[in-house]
Amino acid sequence: MASNSEQKIPTMSRQAAEALIAEKMGPDRVPRKFKIITDTSDFFRVDYNDVVILGDNPYWVKRYEKEGRFGLDDEPKYWVRRAIDLSDGSTKILKLVFHEEFETKIGGISIRCFRSPKKEARILDLVAEHPNFMHGHWVLDSAGNNVRILEFIPGPRYDQLIIDYGTDHQDYFFNYFKEVLDQYIELVTAIKFLHDHGEKHGDIRRDHIIHDRECKVNRWIDFDYNYMHGESMFGFDLQGLGNILIFLTGRGDVLVPELYQQQREVFDRLWGEDLNISYKNRVANLQKIFPYIPKSLNRILLHFSIGAKIFYETTDQMLFDLAKARADVIKLSGRTS
Amino acid sequence: MNEQTFSDLARRDTERHLLVAVDESDNSRRVVMYLADFFGDDKNVYITLLSIIPEPSEDYFASESEQAKWLKDKKKSMEKIMKGYRQILTGAGFKEEKIETRLSIRSCTSIGDAILEEQDKLKCCIVVVGRRGISHDEEFVFGSTSSKILHHARNCAVMVVE
Repeated sequence: MASNSEQKIPTMSRQAAEALIAEKMGPDRVPRKFKIITDTSDFFRVDYNDVVILGDNPYWVKRYEKEGRFGLDDEPKYWVRRAIDLSDGSTKILKLVFHEEFETKIGGISIRCFRSPKKEARILDLVAEHPNFMHGHWVLDSAGNNVRILEFIPGPRYDQLIIDYGTDHQDYFFNYFKEVLDQYIELVTAIKFLHDHGEKHGDIRRDHIIHDRECKVNRWIDFDYNYMHGESMFGFDLQGLGNILIFLTGRGDVLVPELYQQQREVFDRLWGEDLNISYKNRVANLQKIFPYIPKSLNRILLHFSIGAKIFYETTDQMLFDLAKARADVIKLSGRTS
Repeated sequence: MNEQTFSDLARRDTERHLLVAVDESDNSRRVVMYLADFFGDDKNVYITLLSIIPEPSEDYFASESEQAKWLKDKKKSMEKIMKGYRQILTGAGFKEEKIETRLSIRSCTSIGDAILEEQDKLKCCIVVVGRRGISHDEEFVFGSTSSKILHHARNCAVMVVE
């Protein structure tokens, strides 16, 4: 929830900030130069070591957060800063206001997207008690900017864990996938929770799931995007969920160029309709690559293939099919739990 | 079939009420022109031109004033377009009193569902929609209003104009 301080502008003396840094982080870490900031409108003005006052609470600003995207690794997000909460020494992520409107392309389709601090703040309130989302609160700064203060999640990206499971795909699929599928179903159920409340995630990608090492749960992060939807309000979210399931089932992306170069006999069995509708260099019909994948699971993947005749409109439809697939995967792995 | 059923049929015959879902697109204009051509001489056809403007999320705008301006401009532009559609129909022989226009600004998760809700209220016998001819990929991401109506309409006929 917001701790809105519309009436008075919260601030802090330089000496008080220095004393807090010394107390929480050690006297040798007090910087010689820093600013006290209450208005974050120009986020480029917020420098390393500055102290930002939000809702009477001081945050000691550290580095930019980074994100790999569109083939650009470690692209800095200048409006997202790691910070130390000087009231208790904990690490937080500050997301400053950055309104952005742009078009993204999925399978040749342009989708108009908006970055909205209000949306993320609204969802933070909604998911405050939900274990499968990042947590945090929001505050209006002295200029009325909606700054989100997020709890730091200790742990790696979920997708990076997956590719290390098993010695090869068969080992992964028979010995680890049942658990992975359960985790995935939990993540889809979390998205259903948003959809049931009329909210979209807006940017469902596999690098937007963090495995919380302390709580042993997977958490969706970064839900400040909204997209201009058509008839199907949740279609874009669902295509994101489909791509993640294809990744998890394949123990990584199964890429057409790699098959062409390394497994020509498998490549020769593929048709255009077997490919991923969103990313046409990836295979969606994975049963053609890994024949032991149960039909019930492969049928879900085919909803996200070029050859699909029908698409999922809701997470309920997908969860219904996932329950059947789960039963078949359990039979296959010989485990009952 | 008894006498009561016959009279019921006769009554329905005299109230051939078409619900025509339109927006600002070229295919909506084609729908109206098709209906003008097809039913212009028919004195018993009553047309409701319906335009649903989904209330856009606050997330699409930096401020409330931007959102209010977008809605005001959209409404004004759609009113003008609806006036044009009405002129096409009257030009083809429809009487003014046989045409109604409804412009509904509402929050909705599905335009198709919103159109079918209106049909249910008005008890129109035919819902008429255009088809944008969207690609397979587009239908995957955005869905299709005409497909939704075709699959979910009850107690009415559906006419899809290409």
